[in-house]
Amino acid sequence: MLSAYRVLDLTDERGLLCGQILGDLSADVIKIEPPGGSPARDIPPFFRDTPDRERSLFWWSYNRNKRAITLDVEKADGREILLRLVRSAHFLIESEIPGQMASFGLGYEALRAINPGLIYVSITAFGQDGPKALYADADLIVMAAGGPLILTGDEDRPPVRVSVAQGYLHASADAAVGAMVANHERAVSGLGQHVDISAQQSLAMATQSSILAAAVGADQIERMAGGVRVGLLRLPLVWPAKDGWVSCTFLFGSALGVFTRKLMHYICEHGYCDEATRDKDWLAYTELLLTGREPIAEYERVIGIVSKFTAAHTKGELLRLAIDKGFLIAPITTMSEVIDSEQLRAREYFQELPHPELGRAIRYPGPFVKFSESPIKYRRRPPSVGEHNREIYCDELGMSESTVAELSKRGII
Amino acid sequence: MSSRLALRDVKILDFMWVMAGPASTRMLADFGATIVRVESPTRVDTARTLQPYHNNQIGPDSSGLFGNCNADKFGITLDLGNPRSHDVVFDLVRWADVVTESFSPKAMRAWGLDYENLRRIKPDIIMLSTCLMGQSGPLSRFAGFGNLAAAISGFYNLTGWEDRPPSGPFGAYTDYVAPRFTAIAILAALEYRRKTGKGQYIDQSQGETALHFLTPAILDYTANGRVDSRVGNRDARFAPHGIYPGRAADSWVAIVCRSDDEFRSLCEAMNRRDLAADNRFAAMAARVDNAGTLDEIVSSWSRQHLAQQIETTLQARSIPAHVVENSREYLHDPQVQHRGHFVELPHPTLGKTVVEGPRAKLSRTPGEVRRAAPTLGQDNHYVFESILGYDEGRITDLAAAGVFG
Repeated sequence: MLSAYRVLDLTDERGLLCGQILGDLSADVIKIEPPGGSPARDIPPFFRDTPDRERSLFWWSYNRNKRAITLDVEKADGREILLRLVRSAHFLIESEIPGQMASFGLGYEALRAINPGLIYVSITAFGQDGPKALYADADLIVMAAGGPLILTGDEDRPPVRVSVAQGYLHASADAAVGAMVANHERAVSGLGQHVDISAQQSLAMATQSSILAAAVGADQIERMAGGVRVGLLRLPLVWPAKDGWVSCTFLFGSALGVFTRKLMHYICEHGYCDEATRDKDWLAYTELLLTGREPIAEYERVIGIVSKFTAAHTKGELLRLAIDKGFLIAPITTMSEVIDSEQLRAREYFQELPHPELGRAIRYPGPFVKFSESPIKYRRRPPSVGEHNREIYCDELGMSESTVAELSKRGII
Repeated sequence: MSSRLALRDVKILDFMWVMAGPASTRMLADFGATIVRVESPTRVDTARTLQPYHNNQIGPDSSGLFGNCNADKFGITLDLGNPRSHDVVFDLVRWADVVTESFSPKAMRAWGLDYENLRRIKPDIIMLSTCLMGQSGPLSRFAGFGNLAAAISGFYNLTGWEDRPPSGPFGAYTDYVAPRFTAIAILAALEYRRKTGKGQYIDQSQGETALHFLTPAILDYTANGRVDSRVGNRDARFAPHGIYPGRAADSWVAIVCRSDDEFRSLCEAMNRRDLAADNRFAAMAARVDNAGTLDEIVSSWSRQHLAQQIETTLQARSIPAHVVENSREYLHDPQVQHRGHFVELPHPTLGKTVVEGPRAKLSRTPGEVRRAAPTLGQDNHYVFESILGYDEGRITDLAAAGVFG
């Protein structure tokens, strides 16, 4: 789909996913790393727990379908080589602190002068401008600044993040959207532009629009163990099962109340509650609670009944019921249960990529969507440090092997 | 419509509802795509019933979530169960570049509105279906919301404290991940059509898409055979790395030291230079091993100060720190204000509303929010008259036949 385009990926761990998305869509993505390799190669976990720049599973996660070269773009000679690559590039992605690229002579304005069609994508914590643009950052920092963190965790402990860092992935995915929008427009105007992504703004997406609560005059939603609290209402999303936990959407209103009514009928049929409990007005139940016509204690009693029902069944039984009866219940699964699931096997989701250097293949999560005409292909395993130096510098840029050797000696390649 | 908007030539017939689907076309709408969004006149879009409600009042237009997901779209009502609505759908398909839907699989087929039928009407149509688990497989019939997809895709088990049941991420987590990829897939298919003249069908499983945000944990299993679990806020590389209490009730600040230098600087800020010389904390690896003890020390210091004050003090030393913001703090955050994140809009029934602006800032053809989300059927007349060119008589006939509900 994007095979006509070349992407220069200068990002560190903050932006690697963006280039991989374009690579999955068949763009020619060149990952440009400092000599010795990107610091993102030091991020665990490692293959067989051996810390090694060629064995970072984090690096493998976000560098498929890319070629890799090493280049010190902070040195004048390195910069000149990058500028040669920029002339034939369609996208450049970077994740430096704002102003850093400009200080190397590689800011958007400088590169636009060489290649007006270039789409230049910047992924940072807070965006290119504003009072916090130069703030020191980390994934946890942007999670805190972006809104989702305060909503997550147990009320008697600090807010808690997803144990796999998420912050910059949201920003990188938004960056790919911005790049594709700019690309669509370029087909008409022939011109590129600067796409500026702030992780703080991207993360507000992970609040289910409750980031708007103050602006529209609504109550703040508060975190609670296995759910959320709205005022006095405790809304559990994690429920006990016989062999673990499930998530159950036990909510009310004209849309969701229909599911709750259906579930309460089933629960009643199986002797967990009386008919009066079953026949509460589940569609209007939120209003009943908010106006005090239904006491909170009665609601808590109902939650107890439903918990007793879920706890009496296994995750598998509850999923079966959800499918057969249309209940809103799903098992809380471990990573192995996800990966070994029948569903993903039936859809041939996982993709094996050969890693000849290991003498084996590694299974990767499959295409992010299934295109009928132009399916996503996993063409390349994540590259080793400088794997394509020769191919790109000699075969494509026409540099001689001795020049490359000399630049390598000087620490530029 | 501004002539500078990047997607001004893109036309989408949008049957998607609730959150994940509509959030994706909202991104395209900001950049000028024309979105005609079909709602059922009888089965209310769940998003209209979800928090946050304007001034805590429940009503058909009062959901801030619905407003946020549907700004800049035209809203029409069609009763798809009424066969006479299908001619209208087919006319809209002829008009559109892209048709999107997020029903549970088989719904579109049951109505005769699946890809095979629509491509007969318009051979180069692009159609995207998005649902929890994808169009095929034993769980394809499993329908519901993003909290369920997040649970069944591993996000819940990976969020929370080691010694407790999972907390789960907040809400319908896969609905935050999937929309970006939906928008990307639509734009990629448009690019492919521009080059080849071919349309196509796109099958998105929101669970599968979201797994791209868990890849390191997936590879830890497929390459190492290890099943990762939740670890609170601990990080394998950095300590301190956590959320610490501020002086006020339920106020928190995130603090991370990425290097020994940053840790020494934190020790100075805490007036605890002794820690930097302590064997348990002097080097990063030792700090990571003793992270629990260190967290208690940092917490006992942070409790004496306002979270905002800690952010300012530590950032002045270039130590990563930030208040854990709630929606009020986010609204008043000078950075968020500088970036113009929130946009106020007039609204036909609420008077005014607020939505989030475009997330990607494009320098030459920036996105813009032009109109609040439609009330139910707000644009029936505009769409049938101005987009489809129906005359008044035909519209009256269709209305009498119950096509609009």
